[in-house]
Amino acid sequence: MTRSLTTPALTLAFVLSAGVAQAQAIRIGVNEPLTGPFAASGTYVVNGAKIAADEINAKGGVLGRKLELVVEDNKSNPTEAAAVAEKLITSDKTPVLMGAWGSSLTLAVMPKLADYETAMLVETSSSGKITTSGNPFVFRISPPSALEAEAFAPMVERLGLKKVDFLAINNDWGRGAAADFGKMLKGKGVGVGLVETMDQGAQDMSAQLSKLKGSDADTLLITAAVDQLTLLFKQMAALGFKKRIITTGGSQNPDQIIAQAGTAAEGTLHLTTFLPWYPEKTPNPAATAYFIAEWKKRGFEFAGVTESFRGYDGIRTIAAAIEKGGAADAASIRKGFWSVDFTGLNGPIRFAKAGPAGSESGQSKPDVYLVKIEAGKVVVPDL
Amino acid sequence: MTEFLQHLLNTLILGGTYALLGIGLTLIFGIMNVVNFTHGALYTVGAYLMYLAVTALGLGFFAALPTAILGGFLLGAVLDRVLLRPLRGADMDTTMLVMIGAGIVLQSGTLWLFGGVAKSIPTPFPDAPLQLGPVSVSWLRLFVLGAAASLIVLTYGLINRTRLGLAMRATFQDHDTAALMGVNVRLVYTATFAIGSSLAAAAGALLGPVYVVFPQMGGMAELKAFAIVILGGLGSITGAAIGGFILALAEELGAGYISSGYRDAMGFLIIIAVLVFRPTGLFAKAERIG
Amino acid sequence: MTQSLLNRHLPALALLAALVALPFALGDNPYLLNALITTGIVTIAAMSLNLLLGFTGQLSLGHIAFFGIGAYVSALTSLGFDVEILWGFRVVHEPWPAAVGFGLAVLATAACGYLVGRLSFRVRGAYFVIVTISFAEVVRLVALNWVELTQGPLALTGIPPFTLGLPGLGSTTLRTKLQNYYLVLVVGTLCYALIARLVGSRFGRAMRGLKENESLALSVGIDATRTLTLAAVISAAMAGAAGSLYAHYLRIIDPDVFLFSTTVTMVIMVVGGGKGTLLGPIVGGLIFGLLPVALRPVMVPEAQWMVFGLVLIAIQFVMPRGIVPGLARLFAWRRAPAPAPRAVEVRS
Repeated sequence: MTRSLTTPALTLAFVLSAGVAQAQAIRIGVNEPLTGPFAASGTYVVNGAKIAADEINAKGGVLGRKLELVVEDNKSNPTEAAAVAEKLITSDKTPVLMGAWGSSLTLAVMPKLADYETAMLVETSSSGKITTSGNPFVFRISPPSALEAEAFAPMVERLGLKKVDFLAINNDWGRGAAADFGKMLKGKGVGVGLVETMDQGAQDMSAQLSKLKGSDADTLLITAAVDQLTLLFKQMAALGFKKRIITTGGSQNPDQIIAQAGTAAEGTLHLTTFLPWYPEKTPNPAATAYFIAEWKKRGFEFAGVTESFRGYDGIRTIAAAIEKGGAADAASIRKGFWSVDFTGLNGPIRFAKAGPAGSESGQSKPDVYLVKIEAGKVVVPDL
Repeated sequence: MTEFLQHLLNTLILGGTYALLGIGLTLIFGIMNVVNFTHGALYTVGAYLMYLAVTALGLGFFAALPTAILGGFLLGAVLDRVLLRPLRGADMDTTMLVMIGAGIVLQSGTLWLFGGVAKSIPTPFPDAPLQLGPVSVSWLRLFVLGAAASLIVLTYGLINRTRLGLAMRATFQDHDTAALMGVNVRLVYTATFAIGSSLAAAAGALLGPVYVVFPQMGGMAELKAFAIVILGGLGSITGAAIGGFILALAEELGAGYISSGYRDAMGFLIIIAVLVFRPTGLFAKAERIG
Repeated sequence: MTQSLLNRHLPALALLAALVALPFALGDNPYLLNALITTGIVTIAAMSLNLLLGFTGQLSLGHIAFFGIGAYVSALTSLGFDVEILWGFRVVHEPWPAAVGFGLAVLATAACGYLVGRLSFRVRGAYFVIVTISFAEVVRLVALNWVELTQGPLALTGIPPFTLGLPGLGSTTLRTKLQNYYLVLVVGTLCYALIARLVGSRFGRAMRGLKENESLALSVGIDATRTLTLAAVISAAMAGAAGSLYAHYLRIIDPDVFLFSTTVTMVIMVVGGGKGTLLGPIVGGLIFGLLPVALRPVMVPEAQWMVFGLVLIAIQFVMPRGIVPGLARLFAWRRAPAPAPRAVEVRS
């Protein structure tokens, strides 16, 4: 008896919710490190993503629906990143994801994408493995380290590098960068010396630096995120470490380094993927100016833009994919990614096929710049 | 050779704060028979108090340091009063579990209040290091060593030269007899826990500006404090001081000449080796503290 | 006899029946099912911890080491590896089925349990607690730094799921959540039955004797070395089995599997549910394993952990014996107004 009463009620509720769904927001899962060693960077990316979502929603959304970001913390941990992806897809029903900042985090999420046939926009990770392992649900707008090394190649002679040591964070990102840059440098006849690693949470690198200080290399190539870089520069100054320093990976936030490491960062070189100091030199000056103005309006530190612009571009790319796909389901969005074509803050965003035939991932090719910290300012050196 | 000298200098600087951490923990264990699982959280709280005092309160660097230490002292007194005093006489497992619970509350509390993004504490010291022949050291770290050494001497003096110290030593030897002789044992316990906590907070406040401040920083510090205390023998202050420097040396040489990844493993390998071969620690004198 | 046996295990059987039926009540809810599976796995580890903490009174805060070693041994057995040990000598291992990994995980952790069990005689009390924590940390750092074998912080990915099968009858690979749920339930039930048998046997009386009055137990001829070592071996092997389930279910593991906070979760499950009781860790496991799911909509994760910490403190003050003994006492009081006091309580 009760059964016959509840069934119509349930049906009614279902119809009502289906009616609401028409106007319901399109949910985008955002899987970023908000605690742990990468908390600072992950938080910047999320804040950049929110600017994009608000901008798009203010203009009426996508396909007549608003965007809604569902943000989850992956704690800078790969297992957690995979669990978060699963939660976003199965519990929050997000048809598309953005994440997961670190290469090891992204690689951990990738099997889940294949399991649930849901695409993810990779905004920061640079390990080559991400787009070469044959996962057709991955679309990346950040440069893999091989691409970064290739962009750096013409500058090697002009800088006059003779022998290079490496200090890299001990994960897919750092190890991948050391391998790709090492290969490129050897190809140019530059010597490769020590390759030292540090744990992603390490705070005291004095021992590694003492060792690197004594080597016969003229340059140290560092791959790490901003918090660790700041500590490194301070500890280098304390040790009287005086070699040429070049950082890779695009998560340096040079302004934060200047603010926190002070004169210890003087003369260091950084490979970045965004030029917020010279909006007129970026590929899309109007968008850059809008983004920076909005960022400042929200009271965030300017230093964060070299990180947060990826979140901004990431969400704009996803919105474009939803638009091109014509529907807000996982399969349409994934198809839509292949037709995305617009100019982001660091170059054209359109996906080329990468990886084994038949299950290619998408890879966009952003610009890479070399900047220098000189007299407490970020400059583009003449090379 | 230069590299080796540099490692030795690094050891000296690091050892001071390690000794500070170890002494606080060993004091609490020796006198109260409590394994203090809030030690790491108090280290974190000390660092955040330093950060708040310098940035939000706008106190100068040198005024902020005693503020943070006092904060640790008060928090320690409260923890003892609220959690440990009602459990006096309960077995060690119970107090350990309560302390683990309190440590979780403090650590997740800092995460909740301050977020997961690491903070850095500005210092008045110049970036350029002090050159000592082939090796160099930053002025900040030199200050940290000086401050740690002063605090160690102060603690040592407090225990060996004051009436409170006498009461603490009497309680350590036999708390029943001490109580019969008119020692206010409850007060001694609270004072001990507060002093031990303030030393942990001091270590955090000193190392916070050297590195960065983040909510999980206390986890590894706590485990290192255990290593130092085991090495020196539970309850021995001199042992903990020496243990701090031995651990720093093992870490520095391990990272420099074996593999930097195993830096943090040194402490635990030392614990296991000591407990297997000399379970009372290297310097334990079970019958006295100081 | 059979009647009393049934009576004694009635709550456990009722719980088992409820757990068997639960997925049907949940319907298609992968998120909740996932939470149940991971809770179940950690609960098995908590049951194994209870064998040490509850029945022998040894507070091992490095229990996560066994869980993690089990996970890594099982994962590496099924993934294969190629590492250089010393002087260029290479060890190459071709992938074996996940079920073999499960067996090896149990054996390897049993061996580790033997070492820790022997150690518990050299060091007691606070020293034992600290040495077990150190053991877990050293293992974590090895997992983090022996990158060639464990992939270190890069995590071991692509771990195959379990395949069950009988020769000649074909086999099935456990890919769905529902299959994994029942696998965990079966392993958990077997562990429960094993612990129940052990505790009811002479060995169980020896364990409790040692815990309550060691000198008395020794004087009546209980072999302390044998008893404690055996308890540690069985406990470790069970935690290793749980670790293996974890690795093949999540299909990814990284060195954070050794984090101290997981040990704390297990301790809360055991102490909260009722240490030294058969059902305690299971009730505690279900409550504290699912609490984060219940709290998730109302509070952020760091606030959840604060609740966990406060609960751990509160249990020690309010219900030092845990939920199950507390409830049992309540029911006994209802049934018979004047309960005979159970043996003198040893507050632990």
